Amino acid sequence: MTLGAPAALWGLAALPLLVLLYLLRMRRRDQPVSSILLWQRSVPALAAFRPSRRIERSVLLALQLLALSAMVVGLARPAVLGRAVAGRDVVLVLDASLSMQARDVSPTRFERARSEALAVARRLEPGQRAAVILAAPHPVVLAPLSADHRAVAAALRRAEPWDAAGDLDAAVTLASELADSAADGRVFVWTDAARGAPPAAAGVTYQVVGTAEDNAGIVAFRVLTDAVRPEALVRVANWGRGARRIPLDVRLGDAPVYRATLAVPAGGTASAVFPVQGAGVLHAHIVTHDVLPEDDDATALLAPAALGSVLLVSHGNPALERVLRVLPVARAVETATVDPAAWAAFDVVILDRVDPGPLPPGTYLVIGAVPPGLPATASGVAAHPGIATWDRQDPVLRFVDLSDVRIDRALELAVDSGRVLVAGATPLVWEYTGRGVRALVLGFALEDSDLPKHAAFPILVRNMLAWLSVAVDHVAVGDEVQVPAGAERAGSLTDPLGRHVDVRATDGAFVLPPFARAGLYRFSTAAGTRAFAAEIGSPNAGMIRPGRAPAPVSTAGTSAGTVLVHVPLWPWLLLVGIAALLGEWALATRQRGGDA
Amino acid sequence: MDRTAADHGAQLFDPEFLQRLESLSLVSRRLVRGQQRGERRSLVRGRGIEFDDYRAYQAGDDYRYIDWNIVSRLDRVFVKLFSEEEDLDVHLFLDTSASMAAGMPSKLALGKRVAAAIGYIGLCNFDRVGVTAFASEQGPSLARLRGRARAFDLLRFLDGLEPAGRTDLEQALTRRLGATGRRGLLVVVSDLLDPRGYAAALLHARHHRFQTFLVHILADEELAPQLAGDLRLIDVETGRALELTVDAEALRAYATARDAYFRDLEAFCFRHAIDYVRTASSVPADVLVLRYLRQGGLVR
Repeated sequence: MTLGAPAALWGLAALPLLVLLYLLRMRRRDQPVSSILLWQRSVPALAAFRPSRRIERSVLLALQLLALSAMVVGLARPAVLGRAVAGRDVVLVLDASLSMQARDVSPTRFERARSEALAVARRLEPGQRAAVILAAPHPVVLAPLSADHRAVAAALRRAEPWDAAGDLDAAVTLASELADSAADGRVFVWTDAARGAPPAAAGVTYQVVGTAEDNAGIVAFRVLTDAVRPEALVRVANWGRGARRIPLDVRLGDAPVYRATLAVPAGGTASAVFPVQGAGVLHAHIVTHDVLPEDDDATALLAPAALGSVLLVSHGNPALERVLRVLPVARAVETATVDPAAWAAFDVVILDRVDPGPLPPGTYLVIGAVPPGLPATASGVAAHPGIATWDRQDPVLRFVDLSDVRIDRALELAVDSGRVLVAGATPLVWEYTGRGVRALVLGFALEDSDLPKHAAFPILVRNMLAWLSVAVDHVAVGDEVQVPAGAERAGSLTDPLGRHVDVRATDGAFVLPPFARAGLYRFSTAAGTRAFAAEIGSPNAGMIRPGRAPAPVSTAGTSAGTVLVHVPLWPWLLLVGIAALLGEWALATRQRGGDA
Repeated sequence: MDRTAADHGAQLFDPEFLQRLESLSLVSRRLVRGQQRGERRSLVRGRGIEFDDYRAYQAGDDYRYIDWNIVSRLDRVFVKLFSEEEDLDVHLFLDTSASMAAGMPSKLALGKRVAAAIGYIGLCNFDRVGVTAFASEQGPSLARLRGRARAFDLLRFLDGLEPAGRTDLEQALTRRLGATGRRGLLVVVSDLLDPRGYAAALLHARHHRFQTFLVHILADEELAPQLAGDLRLIDVETGRALELTVDAEALRAYATARDAYFRDLEAFCFRHAIDYVRTASSVPADVLVLRYLRQGGLVR
C-alpha cells in the first residue's frame, strides 16, 4: 500500500479528541424539575432497556470513530498495487478441447479457464477492446473486438467445450492477428497444452490449467457393415503411465452385445472386434474412474444398410456394377435410360458417361462427363494427366491410396467453385454442393484408367456413396455435415444433450452446424428423421497431461500481459465514512426520536 | 401591601368574570349543618320556608304548623316540617409548595384563580369560606369569611401567596381539619406531587366526613416533558437528583408511569366518593371554573 499524502494521517490525532468529547458528553446536564416522582416510577421500565442502550451508545462512538478514521485515511490518498490488463486490444482464447473437461481442477479445467478469463474481462479498462476466441477444431470467434465488456463476458459465459481436440495453433494465430500484437495488443490463452507446446508469439500469455495426466478413453467405435457379417470395432487408448485392464460393455439399446476386459498398455491402445446384428443405437462404455469421463462412452449406429439406394445410369460398366453388388447399398438399380423424373426415388444417381442435360436437385456421382448447369466446363481431353495431389483427410478419400493409379485420358476441367479433391494436370475428382445439387465428378472414365484394378477402387466408391448419401458412420465431432434437402426447406437438429437447433435448407442442402459433442444427433424434417452418431474428433483428444507454456516473447514496451497499477482506495474509504456517518445519524435519530 | 383589594381582584379576575361567578353557587351533595341561617338546606328542620315532611302532632308543637287541610280530610292532626336554610362551610386548601411554580402560567397561579373563584362563589352565597395555604407545613390561613364584602380579603390573601417548601398534604390536612369542628365542603387544589402520596391525607378528610373536591393541577411539562439527552433531574422541592438519559424510550416509560399514576388516583377518588378534576396549568381559569368545575359538579 502506498500513501499519496501521508501527512494527512496526523488527522488521526483527532480520534482521542473525539473520545474525549464523547466522555464530556457523558457528563449529565442538571435539569430542575418540579418533581422526580413520575420519573422515578418510570425507571423500572427503563432498566429493561439499559444494556441495549449502553451498547447503542458504544456503537455510536464506534461509528463516529470509524467515519473519522476512514475520512482521515482517505485524505492520505492510500492506494494498493493491483494488476490491470495491459494492451490496447485484448483477445481471450479458451481451449475447448476434450481434455479441458477433465475434473482434476474444480469444477473442470474449462470452467476454471472461463472464470479466470472472466476475471481478466472484469479488469479491462473502459474503452479497452476485447474479443473471445474458442479454440475448437476450427477456431470460433465468440465475440469480435469490442469495447462492450458485457458482451465479452456474455460470450465467455456461453462458451462450451467440444468433444474433440481444439486447434490451438490456429486459434492463437487468429487471435494474434486480431489483437494486432505489434501495436500493443495482448492475447491471453487458457489451455492445458496437452497435445504439445502451444506456439510462442509476441504478446501472447498462456495460462496452463490442469494437474492430472492419467486417462483412458474410447478413441474409435464403428460398425463395419462392409463385411459379410456386420462387425463392430471398439478401440480404447490408455494415456497413463501404467498398463490398465479396462472393462468394456457394449449394448444395443438395453440388450448386452459384448463384454470384455481389455488389457491396454501404457501409452497404447487395445481393440475389440465383435459381430453385431440387428438395427439401432449401440452404446459402448468403459469403466476407468479417471478425471475425464466424457471419453468413457461412445455411440454407433447399427443400420441394416450403411449406404442408401443407388441408380446406375450407364451403358455398361462391369467394374462399377461389381462393386455395387458388394457394397452394403440399400438398393442398386441399373438402367441405360436417362429419365430424370425417376431419379428422385434414389438417394444417389450415378451418371456414367451419359449426357443427362441440366441436373434436377439431387445427389449425383458423375463419371467422365460434366453436366450443364454445374460451375465447371470441360475444354478438352488431357492425356496422362497423372495424380499429383489428393486430400487424404477428406472423407471421400479416407483410406484411399491413389499413388499407383494410372490415368490415360481425362477431361480438361475448369472449375469455378466447389472443391478439387484429386488433381494432376487437371482436376480429376471435383466436389460441388449448390443449387440443390450435391455432386462428385470424376474427370475420367473408369476404363481410361487402371483404378478399378486397385484396392482403392471399392473404398473410393464406398466413400463417395457414403459422402453423397451421408452415411452415418465416420461422423466426427467438428465435421460439417450436409444433408440433401430434396423438397424440404426446414429441419431441426437435436444434439446428444437434447437441445434443438433449427436448420434451413440452402441451395438444396441442409448444412448442419458442426457437431460439438460426441453422441447421437438426430436431424428431423417433414420427410423423416436421420440419426448421426458423432464420435470424438481425434485419436489424441483424450490426452490430458498438461504441457508447459512457452516462455513469453516480449516486444519493446510490452510485458507479460498484466501491469502493476495503483488502485486508489480513497473512494472506498469515503464511502465507508459516509456509510458510517449515515448509520450513526440513523441510530442517533432513532434514539432521540419518537413522541411519547 | 399597598395595593387595594380592587387591584387584587382585577389581577386575579376581570370584572366580567366576577360578575358571572356571582350567578353560580357551590353544590353540596349532602345536607350540612351550619351556624347561621343561610341559603342552603340544612339538617335542622324548623323555621325555614322549604317544606320537608309531615309528622303527627305532638304536645308542644307550634299550632301555626298544623296542616288544617289534612285535619279536615283525615280527621287527624299533622304538622308540617320545614328545612332550616343554613350557611355552608367551605374549606379551601391551596398547595403552595415549590413544585407549584412550574408551568406557564404556573400551577400556583391557576390554583389561586380556582381558589378565588370558588371562594368568591361561596361568599356571594353567604357561605363561610376559609382558605389555607399549605406546603410541608401549614402555611398562612384566612379565617372563615362570610358575605361578599369579604371577597377582597380573600383575593388579597391569595395574591400574597408564593411557592416555597415541600409538599406534605397529609400533615397539612390533619392539622387543619383536626382543628375545625365544622364539616362542610373541602376543596383541595394541588399537584399531588407528594413523595408520601395522597391517599392518607384524602382518607383523613373522608374520615372527618368532609365532602371533598380535588382539583389536580399539572404543568404541561409534567404531562408531556420536552426533555432530551443525558440529564440529571433535580427535584426542586427535595433537591434529590435522578440521572437519566431521556430519549424516546424514556419518554415512553414516563408516559406509562404517568398514566398508571392517573389511573390509580382516579380509582381511589371514585372508591372514596371524592370528586376529582384534573387540569393542565395552561387551561384558563374561567374555562376551568365555568366548564370543568361545573361539569365536575362543584358549582352550578
